[in-house]
Amino acid sequence: MKIKTGNQNKRRFYDGILQALTYLSSGISVLVLVALFVFIFSRGWSSINMDLLTNNYWSENYNVEPVSEVADTTFERPADLSEEAYFSEKWGVAFVDHVNAHKEEMILVEYIDENSPLYAMSDVSIRSNPQDFTMQVGMQVSRLSYTNEQGDTQLAGIGGQTAQDVAQALDQATSVNSMFIQTTGGGIRGSIISTFYLLLVSLVIAIPVGVASAIYLNEYARKSKFNMMLRSGIETLTGVPSIVFGLMGVTVLFPVTQLFGATTTSILLGGLTMSIILLPTIIRSTEEALLVVPQHLRDASLSVGANQSQTIFKIVLPCAVPGILTGVLLGIGRVIGESAALIYTMGTFINDSPTLLSQGTSLAVQIWSIMSGEQPNYELACAISIIILFFVLILNFAVKIISKRFSKAWY
Amino acid sequence: MKFMKKLTALSVACLMGLTLTGCGGNGSTDDTITVYSRDASSGTREAFEKANDMEEMLLDGAVTVDSNGDMATKVGQDANGFGYVSLSTDFEANNIKALNYEGVTPSEETVLDGSYGMQRPFMFVTRADGDFADDRTQALVEAFIDYMCNSTEGQQVVADAGGIVDLSKTTPWEELKVNHPIVDEDNSDLTIRTAGSTSVESTLQAALEAFQAEAGQFQFTMNQSGSGDGYTRVLGDEKDGANAADIGFASRNFEDEEDVSQGLLSGQYCIDAVVAVVSADNDAVDNLTAAQIKSIYTGETTNWSQLQ
Repeated sequence: MKIKTGNQNKRRFYDGILQALTYLSSGISVLVLVALFVFIFSRGWSSINMDLLTNNYWSENYNVEPVSEVADTTFERPADLSEEAYFSEKWGVAFVDHVNAHKEEMILVEYIDENSPLYAMSDVSIRSNPQDFTMQVGMQVSRLSYTNEQGDTQLAGIGGQTAQDVAQALDQATSVNSMFIQTTGGGIRGSIISTFYLLLVSLVIAIPVGVASAIYLNEYARKSKFNMMLRSGIETLTGVPSIVFGLMGVTVLFPVTQLFGATTTSILLGGLTMSIILLPTIIRSTEEALLVVPQHLRDASLSVGANQSQTIFKIVLPCAVPGILTGVLLGIGRVIGESAALIYTMGTFINDSPTLLSQGTSLAVQIWSIMSGEQPNYELACAISIIILFFVLILNFAVKIISKRFSKAWY
Repeated sequence: MKFMKKLTALSVACLMGLTLTGCGGNGSTDDTITVYSRDASSGTREAFEKANDMEEMLLDGAVTVDSNGDMATKVGQDANGFGYVSLSTDFEANNIKALNYEGVTPSEETVLDGSYGMQRPFMFVTRADGDFADDRTQALVEAFIDYMCNSTEGQQVVADAGGIVDLSKTTPWEELKVNHPIVDEDNSDLTIRTAGSTSVESTLQAALEAFQAEAGQFQFTMNQSGSGDGYTRVLGDEKDGANAADIGFASRNFEDEEDVSQGLLSGQYCIDAVVAVVSADNDAVDNLTAAQIKSIYTGETTNWSQLQ
């Protein structure tokens, strides 16, 4: 039979359109992904440094007083001091104007002479228990109270004053009464620790419970109406928005954490809530993994005299490890990316020294927290996003390596 | 069937084309007003809308900006731009002009004497007497409120963080602190918990950080989520719940059903003012009334010439 050329052309035309559609669609998704990466990296990369990872978010605040009087000697301006720094010859200290990651203007100590009366000071924040305090380069001077030549007490460093004003004020001061010193904060150390705590709590609960229920559903459960309902119930849970779980967590699970001594929303509460969110994912992927374990393995095990639980825990489960780990990986991604449920259950206070029973923010919630204020900070938010991306990437590789090592499946 | 596929493909292509052209068309050359607005979660926007009785009435064509600084920059660059910023903004540096409101020039004086209308108070309320975690926490909260509202140092940091305060009525902290022996102790085991308005965040954080250095390095947690929670989490339904707090804040006056008289202390610690701004190159307007602002904001007035 002869093929009609007209038909063939038509076919080609349709095929071409369909093919072009698939190219276009995948092209768009690649484009969007690339745009996302370019956006995040271009905005956030400059903010990433070790200080961001190791610094506290909140600044430490000290009220310090000098212990020694000002001497008659004058200090010499160091030759390598930058032009923008303003130096006080009388006190041997230089200040510089600075704008921090939150776009706030501040005055920082650029140089301090070791013989300066402002170098070794006394921290009187706790008046009944003063501590020694050493002024360091990079500290922020938020207020300086001094006595001038006329004997009046004056304040410097407040109300939009610049480094130059403070240096000039110091040159006229006969004595410094007190200084309000802050360290520069803005770091994410606390949130990184909180995220690890959160992962730990949620996985420690979700993995055993999830794997065990998957084993029940796949190995022990008979095909009954009840079990069918149970299974579809679990599947429905996957589709429930996480904010609903958050509401449930703060009302239903909060009394549970109170038994452990929690007084506010806490990382423990967040972890418990997340473990419930993770359950369906882990059950589902474990079940899938158990399903692909060949039936003849079970039969062989049973035929050599092993009972059912021996078969399940010594033969079937080790073979299913890679599948279970995939579920765990998905779960980790879910925990790191979750924010809605955690805002309710962990609070939005960025905590620098989180414990299980205190409030804290995961990295994603910290992004929410710094973006929801009156002055959102895109640079810092993008920098945290990059760290989250790296985090997920590393976990991805780690899980792949681990699953390769522990997998007993050869099929 | 095949025809359907072809149709789908075509319509998808059309849709994409339409979206692209739709994003491109945004040009105006005459004196058509471009309204700039903050995102819906902004406290400044809330204050601006409330003062002119136009909540949720923003016209569809308005350009949304992310922050106060962004607003100032964008309005400064657009000769026909109209927007609103907080009074603490540097107007000259951004090439913007602050408009009079109902004939009153916005300034700290007119805000403090109440003649400038677009303003809102930052209010606070504490837990009831004896309802704190312990007596020391209560004493510390009392000391903090005294520091933030009455001391020269406390009001100064609030002012530096953008709040409008009357520094002439303050007392040096040295004199006030004798009433609060708690501040000389080591308070690092105490925590002050705050809740309520997000707008107070910067002023409150500045005050807490400054007070931390004055009062024995106590801890604080700020969970600012909205003015409504200020009363609820301190004296209302949630006062013993997971989100309970010691001090609640609202960026408006407390409402009648929020009975703040039960609280140990309540009051106002500073004022925030919103200013309508246009580009400094705009000669068409110097003063706007509430009705005019509303008509621009809702899209009834579309040209500057319509205002004369």
